[in-house]
Amino acid sequence: MDVGMRNRQIANAYYNVGLAKARERDLTGASDALKKSLRFNKYQTDARNLLGLIYHEVGEVGAALAQWIISLNLQETGNLAEEYLKVLQDAPGYLDMADQAAKKYNQSLHYAHNDNEDLAVLLLMRMVEEVPNFVKAQQLLALLYIHHEDYTKAGRCLFQALRVDRYNPMAQRYMAIAKENTGRAEVEKRKLKNAFSHRQMQDDDIILPPSYKENTGLQSILNILAGLVLGVVVLFFLVTPTIRDSITHKYEEEIRRGLELVNQKSLQIDELNRKMEEASAAQQEAESSLAAMVDNSGGVISQYQRLAQILQAYRTEDMRTAVQVFAETDLAVLNDGVLNDIVAWLQQDMAQNGYQVLEQLGDEAVTRGDMAQAVEYFQKSLQINGENIGVKYKIGLAYKNAGDVDTANEYFGDIIMNHSDSEYAAQAKEQRGF
Amino acid sequence: MLDFEEELKRFRPSLEIGNVEDAIGKEDLTDMTDLMVELLNEKKN
Repeated sequence: MDVGMRNRQIANAYYNVGLAKARERDLTGASDALKKSLRFNKYQTDARNLLGLIYHEVGEVGAALAQWIISLNLQETGNLAEEYLKVLQDAPGYLDMADQAAKKYNQSLHYAHNDNEDLAVLLLMRMVEEVPNFVKAQQLLALLYIHHEDYTKAGRCLFQALRVDRYNPMAQRYMAIAKENTGRAEVEKRKLKNAFSHRQMQDDDIILPPSYKENTGLQSILNILAGLVLGVVVLFFLVTPTIRDSITHKYEEEIRRGLELVNQKSLQIDELNRKMEEASAAQQEAESSLAAMVDNSGGVISQYQRLAQILQAYRTEDMRTAVQVFAETDLAVLNDGVLNDIVAWLQQDMAQNGYQVLEQLGDEAVTRGDMAQAVEYFQKSLQINGENIGVKYKIGLAYKNAGDVDTANEYFGDIIMNHSDSEYAAQAKEQRGF
Repeated sequence: MLDFEEELKRFRPSLEIGNVEDAIGKEDLTDMTDLMVELLNEKKN
């Protein structure tokens, strides 16, 4: 038999040992055997895959991945490692969670080495809740608890560790210490002793249940008293809370109804407020409309009053007053249809005769030296007859005489540019100094 | 009673997934057959 074959046989034997131990959940023992197997034959794929599985089982996912990747490199086809890797990669968030667990364990170990045991405990506590099969983390947490003499908590961690790796030597050693310090070891020892101290029963032996006791008179009275006390306790702890809950529920229901009523009323108040705001807005609108109607200068009523003045002036043949009032009247607001014919006639008559009167009034104002009044009359005249170039020229002159040369030049310029063939063009040029 | 410091030394860091590639590179895959072949080669030389 050649050396290679010999090595493969030894490797296979170690693999079998490892497999047997793994089946008994002696994962530490299995791991040792499998490592030996691989030391004899690195191509023992089953041993490497099982080693990866064991690493995975004890929470060392990184180490498991490493073994399976190596396995797949050494045997590319027909290898279970491929399936293992696929399962892990397909599990959403699993690798991330495992990586976080490893990082937290390493950080905790760092804290523990640097006298930050409290931080290490906090970090490990949270981590092992998520990954309870992380044996190394459970052991480290147990060691920290033992160091703080919190043996009960240490025992819980070690119990979890030993559920995964049943014969883990370190966990067993720590567990022995935890049991020793919690009295658990003594209890177990006693149980064990009782288990091996039984004697064979004889025919006349009577088995009494552990709860059996002979009652005496005093015992009976005590039992009655105990029953009464128990009854009171039951009444206090079971019946009273029920009654209290019922009353509380009733009051809560009434409060709820009250709140609903308040809520409804609140909604009604909101609705009424909204309507009041709408009414207020409508009132304001009506008031402003009324104010516009009675407004002294531009209101509709004022314009009707002026129309009446114009008609009265016509009746007394006072054309100057009629024209003056007409110039101040806004006939556009009298659009209710009632006086359309009168308004139309008035506008036509003013277009024919009114503008001359206004021009005349303007001339009189110029004579009085009241240039502002003169401009106003001329402007009104121009409103009635916009083609009266002479009035434009007079406006220019009035402005010039009032010292407003710029405005005057605008009028002169308008005549020069737009009415160059009129008789006033030359005079306008002269006024501009051309 | 446990010696806390001594016990702490027994704990080794866990392999993080980001370091798996490095760990594979550093893994000593030499087996007994490799060692024997090496020894035989040395003997021959």
